[in-house]
Amino acid sequence: MSVHTLLATPFVQHAFYAVTAVALAAGVVGYFVVLRRQAFAAHAIGHVGFAGAAGAVLLGASPIYGLLVFCLGAGLLIGLGGATLDDRDAVVGVTLTAALGLGVLFISLYSGYANATYSILFGQILGVTWGAVGLVAALSLGVLLVVSLTYRPLLFISVDERSAASRGLSPRGLSLLFMALLAITTVVAIQIVGVLLVFSLLVAPAAAAEVMTSRPLGAMFLAMFIALMSAWFGLFFGVWIGGPVSFWITALASLSYLLARVAAAVQSRRSMRVVA
Amino acid sequence: MSVLTMTNGAAVLGGRRIWGEATFAIEPGTITAVLGPNGAGKSTLLNIILGLVPLAEGTMHVLGEVPHRGNLHVGYMAQTRQADAVSTMTGRDFVGLGFDGPRFGWGHDRTKKEVVRQALALTGTTSFADQPLHSLSGGQRQRIALAHSTVFSPELLLLDEPLAALDLAAQVEIVDLIRSLRDSTGAAVVVVAHDLNPLSGIVDQVLWIARQHVRCGSVDEVVNEKVLSELYGQPIEIIVTPRGRRVIVGLEEELAHPHPHGHDHSHDGQHAHDSEVTHDHEHDHTHHVTTNEEHS
Repeated sequence: MSVHTLLATPFVQHAFYAVTAVALAAGVVGYFVVLRRQAFAAHAIGHVGFAGAAGAVLLGASPIYGLLVFCLGAGLLIGLGGATLDDRDAVVGVTLTAALGLGVLFISLYSGYANATYSILFGQILGVTWGAVGLVAALSLGVLLVVSLTYRPLLFISVDERSAASRGLSPRGLSLLFMALLAITTVVAIQIVGVLLVFSLLVAPAAAAEVMTSRPLGAMFLAMFIALMSAWFGLFFGVWIGGPVSFWITALASLSYLLARVAAAVQSRRSMRVVA
Repeated sequence: MSVLTMTNGAAVLGGRRIWGEATFAIEPGTITAVLGPNGAGKSTLLNIILGLVPLAEGTMHVLGEVPHRGNLHVGYMAQTRQADAVSTMTGRDFVGLGFDGPRFGWGHDRTKKEVVRQALALTGTTSFADQPLHSLSGGQRQRIALAHSTVFSPELLLLDEPLAALDLAAQVEIVDLIRSLRDSTGAAVVVVAHDLNPLSGIVDQVLWIARQHVRCGSVDEVVNEKVLSELYGQPIEIIVTPRGRRVIVGLEEELAHPHPHGHDHSHDGQHAHDSEVTHDHEHDHTHHVTTNEEHS
């Protein structure tokens, strides 16, 4: 089959719509993850999701419902328990470990198809049904809508919590809202790149964007753009050359971060030379 | 009309009485220094004025109203901000959050650009406003934070330890800026500090909080041996240097450094406890309120 025919097949089309919606949500939510230095929380939520997905598979349900329940639960727990920076890492770490242990138990109890575990860990976007695409797209667009309505308060609370509180914002409420957004974004990103590679969509594009611009809105759109390009080209290379789509997306997103850092280093050296 | 009046006010956090019987007024265009040991309840006072913590007893009016959160006539600058150390956000964007940061929803206020520009000009921060916060010096960041808190030209400006962690030159710079902001806006300014001397040239009145009591008056009325000895219940000596600096002797254990981290209510309560403990015991860190060495 030629690339053209492959790209026209329904399963690639489904994947295209899914990665588009997910990349946009992950890019913008990732900006706040990087700004708030909550990469560890994002990491933990993904791993907690693994337990949820494994549990759902054990019960014979679709993994995404287990992911939603566990990721949202973990997000709210982290948001509630780790309100202050001091104890956040401990809360996150304990939540993460407890859930991973549970995931191991579920997997050991489940004697069936190992592929289910594999796709939770590493993502499996090719072959998803229209129904699954619809759910993933709806969740992603919901995240985008909420972020577009709350980005200013989220920014404010992320850079100066006390001043934001004095202006009538609720740090706890917004922190919980953000953890819920992060949890849903993690769930949809796991559909594409899996639990282990969730950073490729959630952190790498935003980290690259933050290196490239110091304007918050610019960085948000840039993160969405980098995530989108990584996802589109990752899907295309996966279909054209072969290999897991999640590998290609991860490679491209990591490469964009590397390039951003190199470009920034070159630029700062050049400006130092001008000054000298 | 006074910007702020408190009559027989008391602060209680988690069942612990922090201070009480506080009666004072703050007039427009004046600068009030809030002094006292860590945990005495200085930040709690700011939280009460901001409406974040309720006043446990007595009455209080801020600009004629009961204190409430989100009052645009009250500006507030926190001691520490998450953004300072790590954010690549520019000063201009941070000041912009002072304008529309609390707003939900779509849409953009066209006046924002101009209001932010004026706040930057007024604080002398225009030249470095487009650099990331993490690349600025401590003094530059404080200037940006002052622009952030004065974006709406507040009638009451609350500054929590604005001089903490600054070198002497930056302290002088920020004190000058506080004075010039007061002069240009006519706002009443309340400055929480751990050292009166850098501020002594601009301060109109002093609020000294210690051992659950609050004393208010001019510098001479409060910072004298009789009042401080009474307030602390122990003999206090004050040496005035030829250049007018005050060295307070007898409080070496009580007057400590500013908090290294942001203080919230629980911290305040905790420190209040600490200071009561250290009051009767030898404590290994001894500080002068007033010597210059501690700043260099």
